Amino acid sequence: MAARLARAPGISLQHSIRHAAILLVAGRYRDTDRSALCRLHDQLPQPRATAWWGAAPLTDVHDPVTIAEGDDPVPQLRRLDRDLLRGARASEPDWLPDEPPNAWRGKGDHGQGGKGMMGGVPYGRPMAMMGEEMRDGLMLDAMTVTIGPFLRTLPPGLSLELTLQGDVIQQARVATPAYSASGIASEPLLRAARILELLGLPDLARRARISAARGDDDEGLVAAARRRGALLALPADLADVRARLDAALRRGAAPDPGEECLVDRLAGMEWQSALLRVASFDPATLSRIAPAAEPEEGEEEKAA
Amino acid sequence: MTAIPLVFALLAAGIWLSALAERFASGRRFPSGTVFAPLLQAARLLSQQSVRTEHPDGLNWVLSPIAYLTLAVAGLSVVPFAPELAVAPLDTGIVLWGACEALTIVAVFLHGWSANSMLPLIGGYRFVAIGLPAMLLSMFVLIAAALPAQSLSVGAIVESQRSLWNVVRQPLGLPLFLLLGLAISLRGPMDYGDAADLSGGTAAEVSGPHRLAWGIARLAMLTAFAAMGASVFLGGYLGPWLPGPVWLALKTAALLLVLTWLGRNLARMPAPRMMAALWLVLLPLSFLDLVIAGVEALP
Repeated sequence: MAARLARAPGISLQHSIRHAAILLVAGRYRDTDRSALCRLHDQLPQPRATAWWGAAPLTDVHDPVTIAEGDDPVPQLRRLDRDLLRGARASEPDWLPDEPPNAWRGKGDHGQGGKGMMGGVPYGRPMAMMGEEMRDGLMLDAMTVTIGPFLRTLPPGLSLELTLQGDVIQQARVATPAYSASGIASEPLLRAARILELLGLPDLARRARISAARGDDDEGLVAAARRRGALLALPADLADVRARLDAALRRGAAPDPGEECLVDRLAGMEWQSALLRVASFDPATLSRIAPAAEPEEGEEEKAA
Repeated sequence: MTAIPLVFALLAAGIWLSALAERFASGRRFPSGTVFAPLLQAARLLSQQSVRTEHPDGLNWVLSPIAYLTLAVAGLSVVPFAPELAVAPLDTGIVLWGACEALTIVAVFLHGWSANSMLPLIGGYRFVAIGLPAMLLSMFVLIAAALPAQSLSVGAIVESQRSLWNVVRQPLGLPLFLLLGLAISLRGPMDYGDAADLSGGTAAEVSGPHRLAWGIARLAMLTAFAAMGASVFLGGYLGPWLPGPVWLALKTAALLLVLTWLGRNLARMPAPRMMAALWLVLLPLSFLDLVIAGVEALP
């Protein structure tokens, strides 16, 4: 749906919620993603607003702006933006209380539960802890974070829990799987657009999105990507990503990755390469190779 | 003293032009007219909340955009607008510029560090890793340009190009130097600090006036770099008919447009591949550039 916005002048989709003025919820979301949606909303700078395009507003949202799925959202978004800037519409308050998401649950002198001044999960936030780097065994800080499910560079809905040392992934786990295949014919182009953005080619990505929204074949897209070095920039160990990008730009089927397990392949990869690999799979393959992880022991209890 | 207003006029014009060029290159036309679009964007950011992250390093959070902008102004201070017309006509102008390049890496790192957030921090670290070899590369290229002038003063380097511009005399120099320009202004194929894969990297957590300040500082550094590149490789203020400052402004504008185009039209490699390319291919090329300049400078 959001691809239709690529053509709209004056509307740009941002990579960080801090750079946006309006949160546009396009299409249906899972019940389990509600808390992530609320957290995302509360990071928007004021004055802010939310528009629900073909999506059901959260029940406790006051005066929601809703747009029917078949309608063009651009005029409404423009009006909303103007009203916000002029102060004709009040900025939205936080949806979540301004307090840590979890109880303190600390132990030790400083309550953080790790060793010395490091590690542990104070207030439910994992802190950095020393660990062996998987390539050379050096002791480095490892940090566990969760990205997604609404990170623009990841397939929609996918949320990954990553243990990072610097920009190298030590361990990965699927927290929530990607949304299932929508079956639209332009999906390969949208996927190609995501890869092109990861390669620092926003204009070409926009061109791919426009082509997807129009539903026409942009013959020059592959040649344009080649000229800008999009395929050349991918090193030999990302040859599979290169093949899938090439296929996606031609709207063709990508070579089957076989019995691959996504999270196993991500271990040891650097950040940009890892995101490129994740972004290159089509939704059907992704649901096969990146299903939701089995809850770890004790996790259900924690969640409860 | 006339050089001081010239520096700020060049900076303001450069920031305006590059903001416009950026918008134009992205193919976005605004109904309110493209020429005022950067001003509207600035007004919007000024009216927005500047979000503070949880427990940021407050001092560096505020200081890093200021430091970045100051480095751009300091770098521009050694660029001559006409013979003997520079804010700081130092004998060691190239060294001062080199120091500004090096400290830019520190300013960008501190910006990423101070947010106390993961993506900006990765952006900061990654930028240091790539920025260091990119800076080494520019040092060799600048020393090569200083050889025919037999001086480290930017004014002397401009004067040494009266017969032939360095872009012709040392053909490897400008392309290698442009790579550094893309790196220190966080742009396109060399943007390892503020890239989209990190959701904006060191700037991922900034909003409102802070984001405006950071954006202005980035464009100011781009302008300062373009003016330095124009002086060292394109003959700076030299040129017929028009006064020196006009020639410098025109050449700076040309380099700004080239940098904007390169920034939007070249893919960014994953960091390890860029690292290998810098150390194994581009740095040896910069040695070769130095050797060519040295052989040519032999009596």
